[in-house]
Amino acid sequence: MSLEEPEPEDGAVEVLPTAGDEIAELLGDLVVDREEHVNAPGFVIRPDAVQETLTRLRDEAGFDHLSCVTAEEREDRYESIYHLTSFDDRQREVSVVVPAPKDDPVSESAEPVFRTADWHEREAYDLIGVEYDDHPDLRRILLPDTWQGHPLSENYDQDRPQIVTLSEWENPLAEDHREEEGDTMYVNIGPHHPATHGVLHVKTVLDGEQVADVDPDIGYLHRCEEQMCQTKTYRHQIMPYPDRWDYASSGLLNEWAYARAAEDLNDIDVPEYAQIIRTMGAEFCRIASHMLAVGTFALDVYGDFTAIFMYAMRDREKVQKVLEDLTGQRMMFNYFRLGGVVWDLPEPREEFFETIRDFLDDLPEALEEYHDLITSNEILQARTIDTGVLPPEVAKSYGATGPVARGSGIDYDLRRDDPYGYYDELEWDVITEDGCDNFSRLLVRLREVEESAKIIEQCVDLLEDWPEEERTIQSNVPRTLRPEDDTEIYRAVEAAKGELGIYIRADGTEKPGRFKIRSPCFSNLQTLPEMSAGEYIPDMVASLGSLDIVLGEVDR
Amino acid sequence: MVPLQSQVLLPERIAGLLGLSGTVGQIVGGLLGAFLIANLLLVQTAIAGPWAKRKITAAFTDRIAVNRIGPFGLLTIVTDAVRLLSKELIIPEDVDRPSYDLGPLLVPFSALLGFAVIPMGNGIHLADPETGLVFAFAASSIASLGIVMMGYGSNNKYSLLGGLRAIASNIAYEIPLVVTAASVVVFTGTLQMSEVVAQQAEPLLTVAGVTIPQWFAFVNPFAFVLFVIANLAEVGRNPFDVPEAPTEIVAGFQTEYSSVYFVLIYLGEFIHIFLGGALAATLFLGGPAGPILPGFIWFTIKIWAFYLFTQWARSAIPRLRVDQFLDVGWKGMLVLSFANLALTAIIVGVIA
Repeated sequence: MSLEEPEPEDGAVEVLPTAGDEIAELLGDLVVDREEHVNAPGFVIRPDAVQETLTRLRDEAGFDHLSCVTAEEREDRYESIYHLTSFDDRQREVSVVVPAPKDDPVSESAEPVFRTADWHEREAYDLIGVEYDDHPDLRRILLPDTWQGHPLSENYDQDRPQIVTLSEWENPLAEDHREEEGDTMYVNIGPHHPATHGVLHVKTVLDGEQVADVDPDIGYLHRCEEQMCQTKTYRHQIMPYPDRWDYASSGLLNEWAYARAAEDLNDIDVPEYAQIIRTMGAEFCRIASHMLAVGTFALDVYGDFTAIFMYAMRDREKVQKVLEDLTGQRMMFNYFRLGGVVWDLPEPREEFFETIRDFLDDLPEALEEYHDLITSNEILQARTIDTGVLPPEVAKSYGATGPVARGSGIDYDLRRDDPYGYYDELEWDVITEDGCDNFSRLLVRLREVEESAKIIEQCVDLLEDWPEEERTIQSNVPRTLRPEDDTEIYRAVEAAKGELGIYIRADGTEKPGRFKIRSPCFSNLQTLPEMSAGEYIPDMVASLGSLDIVLGEVDR
Repeated sequence: MVPLQSQVLLPERIAGLLGLSGTVGQIVGGLLGAFLIANLLLVQTAIAGPWAKRKITAAFTDRIAVNRIGPFGLLTIVTDAVRLLSKELIIPEDVDRPSYDLGPLLVPFSALLGFAVIPMGNGIHLADPETGLVFAFAASSIASLGIVMMGYGSNNKYSLLGGLRAIASNIAYEIPLVVTAASVVVFTGTLQMSEVVAQQAEPLLTVAGVTIPQWFAFVNPFAFVLFVIANLAEVGRNPFDVPEAPTEIVAGFQTEYSSVYFVLIYLGEFIHIFLGGALAATLFLGGPAGPILPGFIWFTIKIWAFYLFTQWARSAIPRLRVDQFLDVGWKGMLVLSFANLALTAIIVGVIA
């Protein structure tokens, strides 16, 4: 792990503790035991010291990003792992492990320290059964309120039918009034609504046309992706699943998240040539994903008949064609393999490169068209500037990443800050905008498309000149992978929507003992109430569009 | 040159052709005339709704649109009509029955009523009262009542929001619309439609042998622009798509309507667009006047041009937020329209 120290401020030499021993010294008595995770040092603490530990790590050690909370049930205990890192230096990582006894799995909530822990701990409670003291709102989040048992806990009976009587099964749409008398109106936006981009249910309280309270209700598209991955083998069987998380054309980016975690867990090298192909393919996915985001955002702001949506789809289609040539699939690519990619570029290669170059040549003109139609439109500016404001501190506390964070001026991009693939060899920039509003997020996406095009162009240059005999697409990977028992890793990549992380705990078999997905959309969606309180309904809808969530990834 | 406006109105001519006279002739001629005009409009709406709208939007968005049934996909109109009418009419629980049912009827009929006083050329003109202009505005405003009834009667919060937005928009934009139309009345000195059209046939100036008529769009282009913008808000198209606002409040006041009621509401919207175009044409573009082609053809071209304009705006312009929308109405349009009226009055007063 590289230990790049942050610049000292005002001449004072301030060295943030990064190495395990330094952090242990900082935490002092709080540490009960130490672990070593592949990605970071782990510190076991008492269940009632969570807030103190995290506050100290955040304020005195600069670990200001609670990337993920993983909960799991072990043979003798429950465990919550807080994966902390820093927005300024992504390679500084630390895991805080909080064991809780089997008979009474309660530990302190991290919500007062990091707002993002709210939803993450609710999910842990929902699926594993760990309870969090001091949590403001410990309800189920993915499963219905009436669900019996916690599906990822060890004694959960999979075969027991979940029969809930109609009277108990509270219809989420039945609730009509918050109180008998009052000036507010309760409206269910979704689960079937033109602007929710999938099956999202936003419980909204309106004061006239203004939003008084928003509570996103998720879980309609929960497909037990984590559990499915736990029942599959590392080598081949898990790879098709990531395509189904963020299914709106970010397949390769998702596959890379799993590939990166599993490769680091098993010490697998990836040939340089394969890394370049991966980088190129991933950036195509990013362009396709951002095109869709811009198109649907326009749909939310303009109305259903806007031309921009079709323009965005038209340009996205070109990307899909390239990806189809490369992978043989339009959306569910299943193209990455541990240690490389499944096959080489399509033959004839010249024709393939020609298609890509044509696309890249036309792209500046297409983007110019978007800027003419969208960003320079006065009405759109009136609609989006200074609406859905998300200040950087709030965004950080909620663990917002990707274009949402960069639209709030947070200079954070895993491709640069925690390099993987071939990104650190290429020339490109991380885009940030300081507006913190809907317009900034739109602008970040449009500008990121340009940067992705730059990356693709450099990849094509490299691939064209790559000597034929050195085109190794996969390294030599054993047929069966059995990482050592109790090895734990948390690795993330920069997906289209932000930081997509995977936590894997090996249990000595060929299948993961625990497989946890840190979805960027999940954390980003959590900021919606912050962005839309007091705004008008149309702005709330625009903010939701600017978050660019894909419910498949939120609910997993 | 054939006079564009025959002095004989449609009911009289029909009565004459049938050899009827007196009260019987008036009643039969009036009914047949109204039937003819309503059908002319319904046919145009049928073309505009299921076919032209798709084709126009497709042209703006690089698509092909309907082309499977009939030449240019024109028979889609028939299949769509059958499809829409054969759908189940879902009436939600606890709707306020009389108002839920009457709302969708009021919308198209109010618009059709407005056409009674519009001179469409070639003698297609049902009635020509001295208060023609006021009648047209009054009739088209009844639609607001229908929308309120739908919004209120649907027992749906989205409908209610849409209904409230519709009232707000009608109040905010109808005043500028009528005030701008009044600036034309300052020129004409009459509200009678035939007279308004006749005055626009006068020559304005002659350039190189081509006589430009005194259309009020040429005389006062500022008023014309104001009128068209206010009209866009009246018919609820982008950027003033606020009352319906799909993607925000689902479909506003029409959320709970299906089948026949849905058709009626859509029919009403399109006839309203045509009525808006007809008013703009009559007040500012010389009514059915135009070179070479017969008057009715010119009239049709003008109202379809306005229709095309609404669809263009819909494809290209973002929707304003509801507060911005009302700001534009009260703080912008209202002030400008009164300024226009005052200036026109002063200028006309000084010249006359």
